[in-house]
Amino acid sequence: MDSNSVILKGKTSFKEAVNIAKKGTHCGMCKFDFLDSGLCPAGKKHGFLAYWPQGRMEIIKQLDSDRIKPTRALKDIVNSCNLCGFCDKQCNFTTQLRPEKVAKALKEYVEGLNESDFHDIPEDDIIKGLREIVGERWATNDPVIISSYTMTIIPKDGELNYYITMPETTEQVADIVKFAIKNNMPYQPRSGGTAFSAAAPTILGKGLSLEKGIIIDLYRMRKLEIHTDSQTATVGPGITMFELQKEALGHKLRALAAEAGAHVCSNILTTGIISTWGNKYGAMADNFIDLETVDEEGNIQKHSDWERKNPYSTEPGFTNLTLCPSFIITEAVVKLHPVWDDEEAVLVPFENIRDAYRLLIKLGKRDVGLSLAVLSRKYLAEFLSPTLQISKDFDYVCKNYLKLNYVVAVICNKDDKKIVEDMVDYTIGQSLMKSLILGAPRFTKLRDSEFMKILSEEEDPLKATFAGPMRSHLEKALDPSPKNVASVFDEDLQEFFTKVYSKPEMTDIVWLHAFRILPTRMMRQQMFMGPGAAMWTGDEDHYLNWIKMFDDLGEKYNLEHSLGFIAPLDQGKFAYMEYDYYYDHNNLEECQRISDCLIESMKKTLVMGRSFTILNYLFKGIHRKEHLLYPIPEGISNEQEELFDELIETVLGD
Amino acid sequence: MVKFLSDEWIEIGKKYMLEKLDPVKDLKSITTSLLGVVEHIPPNDTTMNFYLELEEGKLKDFIVNTGDTFEEKEAAYEVRGNYGTYKSILQGEMSLGIAVLKNRLKVKGSKMQALKLIKPLDGVIVSLKEITDEFQD
Repeated sequence: MDSNSVILKGKTSFKEAVNIAKKGTHCGMCKFDFLDSGLCPAGKKHGFLAYWPQGRMEIIKQLDSDRIKPTRALKDIVNSCNLCGFCDKQCNFTTQLRPEKVAKALKEYVEGLNESDFHDIPEDDIIKGLREIVGERWATNDPVIISSYTMTIIPKDGELNYYITMPETTEQVADIVKFAIKNNMPYQPRSGGTAFSAAAPTILGKGLSLEKGIIIDLYRMRKLEIHTDSQTATVGPGITMFELQKEALGHKLRALAAEAGAHVCSNILTTGIISTWGNKYGAMADNFIDLETVDEEGNIQKHSDWERKNPYSTEPGFTNLTLCPSFIITEAVVKLHPVWDDEEAVLVPFENIRDAYRLLIKLGKRDVGLSLAVLSRKYLAEFLSPTLQISKDFDYVCKNYLKLNYVVAVICNKDDKKIVEDMVDYTIGQSLMKSLILGAPRFTKLRDSEFMKILSEEEDPLKATFAGPMRSHLEKALDPSPKNVASVFDEDLQEFFTKVYSKPEMTDIVWLHAFRILPTRMMRQQMFMGPGAAMWTGDEDHYLNWIKMFDDLGEKYNLEHSLGFIAPLDQGKFAYMEYDYYYDHNNLEECQRISDCLIESMKKTLVMGRSFTILNYLFKGIHRKEHLLYPIPEGISNEQEELFDELIETVLGD
Repeated sequence: MVKFLSDEWIEIGKKYMLEKLDPVKDLKSITTSLLGVVEHIPPNDTTMNFYLELEEGKLKDFIVNTGDTFEEKEAAYEVRGNYGTYKSILQGEMSLGIAVLKNRLKVKGSKMQALKLIKPLDGVIVSLKEITDEFQD
């Protein structure tokens, strides 16, 4: 039996599939239809992560490492896949991976096994109890299904002592919690698992994961209702931001935009929705009207229950760190905002960060624009480029020829656009951005061209490019077209991507800002960690020194690094900053370096003061931003530094 | 075999801590008291508590009671959690600190103050881990 399995795992197709799976970063983009390409039918029908492309990729890794043996459920998972290829289209758009090869390899593997190779998993009292609550189909103790949750709530090593359950109603969630308490079982809710996947390979992984017990997968709770009169939406925890945004846009409304794959309820709970739209639409508890929650005793409550203890405040400071949510949000009533007919994108290019920062904060304080951010060159390159290599070349051209290191990106109505244009010498408008998206492959081919050499010799290459006669030459040289950009994808997908890039929204900067389908490209076959925080903007040097500190640590720990974005909050009084470190999540030594870098950056941020770090706001998104940001914190004392060290030691464990 | 929360557990725990723990080195000369409330004890879903008092690192009191309060003395800290959580800690599956940070153990009062206690209490936890090897299922 085992020798058969060993032979099957030795096949080239299996090994190739394992290599594809290892590059996967659990972005979850295969769980919603963001390209109108269709959605994995098996995942939609069966729900459990194991039936989605992402889950199959995890299963093949777990089989390869012998953490799991084939079970009856594996056969069912494999048979549920009809090799429709939807996953290849979705995954290739963001990461250039081909998950269908994994599905095929799993099929081959299962077909090669004998009937006696499949283990039966007996029911125990816990699974019986859970099935009584959610129904026969929606609770499992099968190790293959359980293993698919590795890296998105389960740690990569250790026994698979878990149960997965998928409730459909708030009452079922409450009953599961009560059942867990009665049986002394730890439990943890899970939505998309994307936040955990970024943290899993780092020091935060151990503290944030569930060590054993009941995983409550909230995917089936998919209520989504738009209330146009009150401009609100009622959202269940199974709904992603993309799905909410799409439904809202149908009513000319918009939600505060998290990344497309973030689940709205869990994003509110985990960190609050952090967004470039935050200066106008708010942050933390600004974002919702009401929440329905299940507490740690299994009680169902609403934020609006008038007899309830104030749920909006929390103990301030970094020592109030929590590694687990205090509630499970089972429904949120979130605010929506009007979409105006005259909305436009204006981007202002800069060579240095100080000038970009200064404009951003000025706009933030004047309340100009709907979405406001400084985006780094690297961010822009990752988003606009269809492949990893093109993003590297894009970055190179911007840095070495154009001196384009930052842009202030503003989404605004026409009145605000005029204000922005009056404040600067030149801008990049929608038309040129469209050309850069559709002409990205050509843009990067210009890297050693005469045209770029001439540009780089200009006194102000940015001005020459975006305000001078070179602009029209550049647009012409880009030869922008859907076919041009689609030509860099695998041949069999080019026709599909030509259609995708022909859709107006794929080059509409306003739409892309609101739907945020591009940030996942930062996770192209490698992981990133963005230890962001918010800092008081009153002292420009202080803020910029803070960014420099992250930059220096990136060098010290030899990590690929770059500023991600800066976005103002609370009318420009604070600005959230994400600084990104990129790392290979399969390289243990690199994971250690990123962990050390995270600890040091957190400590230095706390010592610098006037800031709040992930330690301050992890699982605090349901509170009022005013309780978290104010009073503006000073740098921590020596005694608190010692406490920080102890806290980290606690998180790290033995 | 010493069963968690039994009279024997208290007696052996006391003896072990007095004999094996150095008040300065292991318990950092700490003076404090703690009420550990253990909820949902199987098989009848009962609640018990243990009161532990240290004076300059020396064990002064270690008592087990039924219910969730201890009338005789007021503890500086109250730590509340379910039986499974205490079991995980005493079986070495989870640290005291992680249990607090994951809300598995609820601390009455400031979390900052409670976190300061974790290191000095390590010795006590290690002792209790050593002597406890039987739990209710």
